[in-house]
Amino acid sequence: MKFLISLLAIQTAAALAADAPAPKKDAELPPCCRPALPAGKPTDRSLYQLDSTWTSDVGRKVKLSVLRGRPQVVAMFFSNCEYACPILVNDLRKLEAALPKDVLAKVDFALVSFDTKRDTPETLAAFRKKEKLPVASWTLLRGVEDDVRELAALLGINYAQDARGQFAHSNVITVLNAEGEIAFQQAGLGQGPAALAAEIAKLTAPKKP
Amino acid sequence: MTGETPVPLPPARCGRPREVANLAYIVAALALLACAGAAEPGMALVPAGKYAPLFRGEKDAKEIAVVPFLLDERPVTNGEFLTFVRENPKWQRSQVKRLFADERYLSHWGGDLDLGKVDAAQPVTHVSWFAAKSFAAWRGRRLPTTVEWEFAASAGFTVAEGTKDPEFQKSIARWYGTPSPDVLPAAGSGRANIHGIRDLHGLVWEWTSDFNSAIVTGDARGDTGLERNLFCGAGSLGTKDTGNFPAFMRFGLRSSLKASYTVRNLGFRCAKAP
Repeated sequence: MKFLISLLAIQTAAALAADAPAPKKDAELPPCCRPALPAGKPTDRSLYQLDSTWTSDVGRKVKLSVLRGRPQVVAMFFSNCEYACPILVNDLRKLEAALPKDVLAKVDFALVSFDTKRDTPETLAAFRKKEKLPVASWTLLRGVEDDVRELAALLGINYAQDARGQFAHSNVITVLNAEGEIAFQQAGLGQGPAALAAEIAKLTAPKKP
Repeated sequence: MTGETPVPLPPARCGRPREVANLAYIVAALALLACAGAAEPGMALVPAGKYAPLFRGEKDAKEIAVVPFLLDERPVTNGEFLTFVRENPKWQRSQVKRLFADERYLSHWGGDLDLGKVDAAQPVTHVSWFAAKSFAAWRGRRLPTTVEWEFAASAGFTVAEGTKDPEFQKSIARWYGTPSPDVLPAAGSGRANIHGIRDLHGLVWEWTSDFNSAIVTGDARGDTGLERNLFCGAGSLGTKDTGNFPAFMRFGLRSSLKASYTVRNLGFRCAKAP
């Protein structure tokens, strides 16, 4: 009898849980988690050929190919970083601020974490909140070690974890075109947004007939 | 690496007297299986040990503990790689995607499924990191980490610590000072080290799973401001053993590679948990 009651309770709870959180509207989800834009087969140089699965700060599991259709500004970081990553993220914010409104509307930003242990979706969500990264245009992702190593290799990013669990890593900002091909890369911190902004403007310019 | 793979019974179980009839038989059978699994053909066990990294931060430990692992006794050959591409057409020369291998991928072969003038017993080269990784996964193996590779390669012919084996030191210095021959010798023709592993030195360079973990710039001008901006943490990295020139060459090579690169004298071998 007790068992039946608890069973009922579980069912009710489940039903309530299913109803409770109103489904988020697209605009409330980061770019990775909105319905994917219509797409065909990835090109030979597209990073979207990768089959790895990533988890966003909103908890959804996605393939990188969901980012297809719009240029992406991609950087790798980890939220416990003391020196470079805050500067790296700041560089991205400066770039965001430097882009004209019409260009900004056509490009997204993606941060991928090196830290497979500590950067849980919750940690990433807290990082988003702390850094005030707009949901509509910023994707935050974490993955498993092999997949992070592979993505870093593709982006030409070297990294190693030290004894304290901190990561030494190269600082590279990559612009992917809408197909997910590397269109431009900038290595080093504090380089200013001009070169990146020019490249993004080129990628988002309306195609001439 | 998930680390959640079912753990085989420890080898200590092998050959223990049985106590309770039924259960004991099962345990014994499992133990036998585990023992058989440890003896992977063509692989040798690298026992636990300590590896002193070439580059490390001020606060990093002087040594990294290495847990036992299995390593291929010799590099993967052209013949073995041919079987792999036959069974995995997407890794054939004409099929491979440019993202995963550059234009020179397997360019020394005669064709997609034709070795041409290349000997099946030679170590396969002109393979990208992605191709090497896929081959390893296909064999149920993986690439060794840089630490594992360097640790295995530090073993001498007669003692585990190669630095205490003068003959070993001499032979290494000879190879790193000589350009690669036009025709590579067969894989496995070098002298075995104390673990029974051959050709870690003296044949080809080899990919590691984390080749892109070296935080040094190509020209290694450690004191420039540029480097600190390129590499988070680079300022704190120092080297421990400036005399180990071959190891510097390997780190230099690894840090100059990109995952899609294929090189005439760069091959690989696989590793696995024991």
